[in-house]
Amino acid sequence: MILGPRIAWGTMAMVFIVSFLIGFAVLGRFQQNGPTLGAWAAFCRAVGLTADRRLATAPRPPARTPTRIAWTQATLARISSGSEQHGAFVALNCAACHGAQGISPSTLIPTLAGMNPAVIYKQLDDYRSGKRLWGVMGAIAAVLTDQDSADVAAYFALRPDGLAAVGSEGAPAGGRSLRQHDPSLRLVFAGDPGRGIPPCAACHGPGAEKLGAPGLRGQQAEYIERQLAAFAQGMRQNDINQQMRVIAHELTPAEMHAVAAYYGAR
Amino acid sequence: MQHSSRLALFHYWVAFAAFLPAVLLGAWQMLVRSPLPAPLDDSGAYYASVTLHGTAMAYVVTTFFTMGFGYAVAATSLDRPIRGAAAAWIGFVICSVGTVMAVATILSGRASVLYTFYPPLMASGWYYGGAFLLIGGSMIWVVVMILNMTAWKRDNPGRPVPLPMFAIAATAILWAWAAAGVLLELLGILLPRAFGWSDLIDAALARTLFSVTLHAIVYFWLMPAYIAFYTLVPLAAGGRMYSDTMGRLAFIMLLVFSLPVGMHHLFMDPEHGSGFKFLQSSLTFLVVLPTLLTIFSTCASLEIAGRVRGGRGLLGWIPALPWDEPMVLAVGLALVMLGLGGFGGLINMSYAMNAMIHNTSWVTAHFHLIFGGAVVIMYFAIAYEMWPRITGRPLRSKRLACAQLWLWFWGMLITTIPWHIAGLMGQPRRVAAFDYADPLIARMGPLVIMSVIGGVILLGSAILLIVILVRSHFGARAQTESLAYAIAVNPPERVPSALNGFGLWNAIVAVLMVLAYGYPIGQFFFLKQHSVPAVGITSQFDSGGRR
Repeated sequence: MILGPRIAWGTMAMVFIVSFLIGFAVLGRFQQNGPTLGAWAAFCRAVGLTADRRLATAPRPPARTPTRIAWTQATLARISSGSEQHGAFVALNCAACHGAQGISPSTLIPTLAGMNPAVIYKQLDDYRSGKRLWGVMGAIAAVLTDQDSADVAAYFALRPDGLAAVGSEGAPAGGRSLRQHDPSLRLVFAGDPGRGIPPCAACHGPGAEKLGAPGLRGQQAEYIERQLAAFAQGMRQNDINQQMRVIAHELTPAEMHAVAAYYGAR
Repeated sequence: MQHSSRLALFHYWVAFAAFLPAVLLGAWQMLVRSPLPAPLDDSGAYYASVTLHGTAMAYVVTTFFTMGFGYAVAATSLDRPIRGAAAAWIGFVICSVGTVMAVATILSGRASVLYTFYPPLMASGWYYGGAFLLIGGSMIWVVVMILNMTAWKRDNPGRPVPLPMFAIAATAILWAWAAAGVLLELLGILLPRAFGWSDLIDAALARTLFSVTLHAIVYFWLMPAYIAFYTLVPLAAGGRMYSDTMGRLAFIMLLVFSLPVGMHHLFMDPEHGSGFKFLQSSLTFLVVLPTLLTIFSTCASLEIAGRVRGGRGLLGWIPALPWDEPMVLAVGLALVMLGLGGFGGLINMSYAMNAMIHNTSWVTAHFHLIFGGAVVIMYFAIAYEMWPRITGRPLRSKRLACAQLWLWFWGMLITTIPWHIAGLMGQPRRVAAFDYADPLIARMGPLVIMSVIGGVILLGSAILLIVILVRSHFGARAQTESLAYAIAVNPPERVPSALNGFGLWNAIVAVLMVLAYGYPIGQFFFLKQHSVPAVGITSQFDSGGRR
């Protein structure tokens, strides 16, 4: 009898047991594993039971709101109740950087004179709540009350010779044509529908405005350019509907420079 | 007996009718992948073609050839007509209908999922239905084979079953076990989804079930070649079989070891743990044993024949062999290709080394050498041996037949050696278009062009095969003796029952399958939910592939 059932079963059992021990005990434990993986965990991995055995779900970033401000009647009433006189007192905190009359002496600091009070009010609240990050402004805004914000907004909104009034100037010659040769004029007045970029002027003037969007004509050019870059890189995230992050992401650095130069020219 | 011959002949006809167009498709696919301009250069057509080439070669040619071979072997080795011939004809019709369904669906462009199905890709239900009929229909052949062997044993108690019959029964049982995987996949997962009875598809379970089939199916293809090695080659060489017992052992080991090993096709799949992959990897190494036994036994049989023919000295028996006999030439060429492909296979089956060549042209080269080379060249030799005996019309020229075998051998080497190299360079398989402007890919260009040349040689050889068979078919009737098998040096008088039947081995296979696949398949029902939406394949022949 050269090959009986006993030999056949015995051989197969031996082969199986040896392979099983190597595959499940030895390799599972010692192959490229640090001491962190215990014997039981190694065995579980060898049978394919790892923590990630369920279907992968897309990671969800924590919910984050861009701002605390909503343009409700109550908010607008609070802003319009701002007192210019008390605002002048609060504005003493601002004068060192933004100028006593709200006209910035520095290219990197925005001019506030003539800015829409709703814009100033919202930015102060964003600084206070950490939605917009800039060390000095965060510290200053933190000590202001809501009413202080409304008051100082009213004060700066009424300062003369700063930002141009939004309705003061229309579209230039050549109008809102997409065939405009000057790239800054084309972006400002016609946008670039191919990339989903609306004209800047539709919200920031000249000729039109939108609640919460500052008029930019007369603003510091380098400040505008820096804000566009911050939106593009996601450093600044307090635009309520992400519109500035989306638009700035589409702009090339040269285009950012061009539109900032257009708005900054006095 | 005449009836059994017709049965075999009809099966051979279907097999070789599918073979020639499938080779043509293969050559065209190489041209599409190459930097050379190709007619109908279109990636959608490429994937339809790969599907058709694979389905034809892996399911149609092999299944029909092996079934026909089985009927011929059962009738001639037992020397009595086939029992259950009516069932066999029904099986033939079912398989043929399945083939037509599958081929028509692929040609309509709604089944470009490759013959391995690749769920969650989803083809038309007609394709899966065709594949199910083809594979399911061959189960009738399995039953007929087992029936014939048991009936003979009942009529001849105590006598050893002739080795050819024993081996073809092993093939049938192996195929029944192997096909269970793909049949369950089709029936339980793919067909219900294709007909819209379920929304999701458990791709991981489907792939695991297919892996049950995937390795053993190769041995199902290989078995006729091995049967010829043991029982036809020694006679053609003019000698005797070295050992009958070694043959029985080899076929039993092929049955046992080729089944619980399919997971080596899933080394890169995330749904299984490393333990089962290693287990089946090490079981895979055991498959080498019966192959080494067979190579040893075949060489020993050839040496006996060579020395009988007057060969002297250490290697003098080799030139003494009748190399102008197609069967002898084929076995020599087959062993070379089996050796080259086999060593490549050792790398594929190694759990760690597989990562280097996974899904590259290396893998394609490996199974083309083993199956397209070693196995198919034996199919040719078997056809040259059996065709004249079935039809009574001898080959007009054995020299032409030998030339055809040489052409196939060189064509296969010229095709697959560059594939091996390109695979090591990282060229993926089953990809229609390469950007040869990329410097990384550009260096593969000359290799791919070389394998195009090999493909053209193979196509020429395939055409020559059909010409030889057709020429013989219209020749004069001259041959009457039926197929004979080699007698062993020591013909068995009695063999232990373990070597004369499959009861014990089926039990061992069952236990091994439960141990090797019980948990990997069972986990999907209890621990893991992997169902995903299926991706439908529609007609997607676009205009103009990119180059």
